[in-house]
Parts: sequence; structure tokens; C-alpha cells
Amino acid sequence: MADKEKRRSAALPSGMSSGKVVKSDSDREFLEQAGVGDLLRGAILKMVEARSDDPIGFLADHFCNLASVTDSGTAGCGDEDQQQQSAGLAGAGAHEQQRLNRALWHLRLAHHSQRSAFSNNVRVAYDLLNLNGCLSQASENPEGPDGSLLVVPPDAEGSGGVKGGLYMQTLECLCSEGGVPASTSAPLLRRLCCQDHEAVPYDVFRHGVLTCAVFSDYIRQAQRLYAEVCCPDEGPASRALCSAVLGTLKEALETSQDCDANCFVNANTKSSACLEANAKAIRYLEASAKISPHKLAQVMAGAQTSGPGGNMDAKEFENAAADLFIARVKVVS
Amino acid sequence: MSEVHGGRQPVSCTVKPPVYLQIGESKAEPVQSGVCVVDVPLPFGKPVSVEEITFKNYYTAYVTVRLLRRPSGQDGPTKWVTALRDLPLMDNPHTERGSQDYFSIHRKQMLVEADHVVSVRLILRQPSSAWLTFSLEEIKIFPHTEPEPLKEVSDWLSDLILVDQLPDVEGLPDPHTVSSSIQQMWALTEVMQTNQTTASIGRFDVDGCYDINLLSLT
Repeated sequence: MADKEKRRSAALPSGMSSGKVVKSDSDREFLEQAGVGDLLRGAILKMVEARSDDPIGFLADHFCNLASVTDSGTAGCGDEDQQQQSAGLAGAGAHEQQRLNRALWHLRLAHHSQRSAFSNNVRVAYDLLNLNGCLSQASENPEGPDGSLLVVPPDAEGSGGVKGGLYMQTLECLCSEGGVPASTSAPLLRRLCCQDHEAVPYDVFRHGVLTCAVFSDYIRQAQRLYAEVCCPDEGPASRALCSAVLGTLKEALETSQDCDANCFVNANTKSSACLEANAKAIRYLEASAKISPHKLAQVMAGAQTSGPGGNMDAKEFENAAADLFIARVKVVS
Repeated sequence: MSEVHGGRQPVSCTVKPPVYLQIGESKAEPVQSGVCVVDVPLPFGKPVSVEEITFKNYYTAYVTVRLLRRPSGQDGPTKWVTALRDLPLMDNPHTERGSQDYFSIHRKQMLVEADHVVSVRLILRQPSSAWLTFSLEEIKIFPHTEPEPLKEVSDWLSDLILVDQLPDVEGLPDPHTVSSSIQQMWALTEVMQTNQTTASIGRFDVDGCYDINLLSLT
């Protein structure tokens, strides 16, 4: 910067390279007008958050998404022409698919354990899928330009919500990409199910997405656990051992759930928030004591001598573990 | 930490029969003096810290509590001290009020520290001639108990600490790896549970309320 200033002040008195001065000025101005600084800053921040293995591919995807956002922003809202309606019908389906893909791309960027990054991405994905502003402008006639009615409740805050069908598709993709077979995730999706005509608000969307992300981690962990429990040479693991191990997990969950059930926030408990927190901490410690290595060794040794006979295969183990998780998911209503 | 009062046991001791003091030299015509002494010796060899003395009154007007203390160990000297002097049990010695009430004397109400107590003497006075017979019933002496430690925490905490010997794990998977997997699964479930939302999709809401007119149409 200082160099440029020097060059400029040096150039002016000489008057010889006035052309050069104009160029460097306009370069900077041009960059500022285009907002390139912000663009690049945004791209670098996203990259740091995602830490993908393929930086060039990531950047390419990122700019591709940005480009299509600005494209659809201008195109969608002005689409009222009769001639374009039939083309719009076919295009809308593909358009929706494109939005879904982009939303999924955003959701894949950060792991759910990276709280703020994940929340930001969920917000972006939600806004992407929730392009009601444009649709409601275009659908002045009741049939709507893309044939599918979007029922927006009259007193909805903001723009209603994401279409139920899109929401379910997002969840299904998240589960399958996370390595969860469809049969295992089906009961979970039933709990989180929203009808196609319903408008999903942000909180429900976020809850569903987070649950699916956590669930895929959970299932992968359960698969790893099965591999640990069964001795590789001897085929499937003994049923007694598997039941015993899952039993300790169930006990721990029930112990820590007691504190959730007891600690409701109401006017009476506000004054004893400290006691509540202490009780909760003690419950958590108690639950974790039930799954300590010592306890597990005891339980497994006990299972060797007594317990149901036979073997349990990987699929059954996975389903049993999934049941423990899914039983604790709140049903969307 | 507050002391546990429920489930406390009185010190087991035998209350000696009341001794009515009498005025007059000759045994022929004893004149009631209106003073009676009740001794409650505590179990031998075990000095007690008195927490509370409870009793049921029977027409006693005033009671004085004296304690026999042995402050310095097993065979040291004992000393009588007055813990309470002339505590009124009845508002008016001639009338009925308080005559059959239950009373409780706490160590905090006593003039001296009720520690290392070997014997308790209750001196009852009833100056009224209306009540010639008077006494205290159901005398119980409660010792000072140390507060119980929180059993819940220490139970499983000691389980964690007393890992003297892991049971035989031949042919079994390594408990450490299994435990760490289970712990991760538990943590993931907890994460999901703590992030549950109370937001609803309003599936059954009609304009956010149940309007009686709309209900009648369905």
C-alpha cells in the first residue's frame, strides 16, 4: 500500500506516467466495487470450517453454489409468463433437486460436534430450501407455477417453512450418506416425519437434521462396537454377551434420563437451580459409573456364565442399538 | 449439612422412680413439699452428648434440669451443673393449662454444654395444693448424632475406586475398548436428547387456536 502511495506521489510531479496512475487506481476501485475482498474472505472462512481434503474441488463447488444462488434469485421471481409455465413445471422439479443438493452440500461441511459452524450451515440450508418469498410472488393464481400447492398458514411468521417433502428428502439423504441402511433409519424417520403439505419451521428442521447426523455417528459406533464384541475368528458374537453390553448402555441412559424427567423448569425450581445442576451432575456421574471398564468387565464375565444362548448377528445388534436411540427421539407433532 | 432427625433413637436408660421430698422430721406426718426429684442415670461407661430431652408433663409446674458431667475421660471427676433452672411448664400452677402437654428441651436451650453427660436429674416443683401428685412421663433422652454422609455418592464412587482386581477376562473382548465405545454411544444419545426442541409443527392447530365454529364444522 505504501509503495503504491509512493509511486503515485512520485508519478504526479513527473506527469509522465499519468496513464499508469489511473490504471492502479481503477484496479483497486474495480476490486472494491466487485466486492471481491468479501467474496474471497467468505470462501476462505468456509474452507477453514469445512477442512475438506480437496481444496480446489471445494472452492469450485462453493463458487458454483454462489453462482446458482444469484441466478435463481433473479430468475425465479420474475417467472410469471404463460409460455414459461410449462417449461417451469419441468424445470421446477429439477430446480428443487438442485436446491436440495446445495442444501445437502452445506450440511455436509461441518460435523455436528462443531456447534457454531454446524448451526450456521443448518441455517443456510434452511434458507435455501425455504425459498417461499419467490414462490408466493409467482403463484398469484391458485394453481401455482409449479403445480404443487404450498400451503402457507395464514398467520405464519416469516415465510412459513420448508416443504415437508423436501425436509424428509433431506433427512433420508443425510442418513444414507452417513452409512445408515434404510431399514435401520426407517423407524427414526417415522418419528421425525412431516407430511408433504406441512410447512416445517426452523427449530423442527434443525432438530431433525441434528438427530440424523448424530444417529449416523451412533450407528457407525454401534457397528464398531459389534466388531469389538465378537471375536473375529469365531463368527457372530454370543447373544448373552451382546445383550449384556447393550444392557449396560440402556441402564446408563435410564439413569441419566431420570434427571431430565425430574428437572422441569418452572417457577418453583428456578430458585434451586444450583441444586438442580448438582443433582444432574450426580446423575451423569452415576450413569457413567455404570459403563466404566470395571463394570463392563464384570457384566461380560457374568454374561459368559449365564444368559440366553445362541448368537446375535451384526444386523440384529445394530437394530437393537438403534432401538435404544430411537426410543428417546421425540415424535414431531 | 442438616442433621437427620427422623429415625433417631433415645438413649436406653431406666428412669428411676420419682422421689418426693418431704418436709418434717418425723416420718409419721409427712408434709408434701411440692418438690420431686427424678434421676435418669445414663448407661454406665458411656458419657453421652445430649441433643434433646423430651417428656410428657403430668401436672408439674416447673422443672429444673441438672446434668452430671464427666468432662475429662473415663475416671475423671464428675460435676453437677444446672442446665435449666425453673422452666415453667404450666402457665398457672393452679390451673390445667400445660398440665399434660408434651415438651422438648433442646441442647441449645441449655445454659451449659450438654457433653460427656453421665446422669440427668430433673427436679420437679408444683407449689399448688391442687395437684398433690405430679410427675413427668415418657422421659426420653436423645443423644447427639453425627450427620450421616451421603450414601448415594459414596456407594458407586467407592465402586470406581476399589478396582483392585478386574475379573477374569479370558476369551472376552477388552473391557476398555468396549467401554469407550459404549461411552461414545451414550454421549451421542445424550447430545440428541439435550437438543430436543419443544417447537411443534402445529399439525393439529387451526389458525393457532381451536375456534368453536370451526370445530363444529368437522
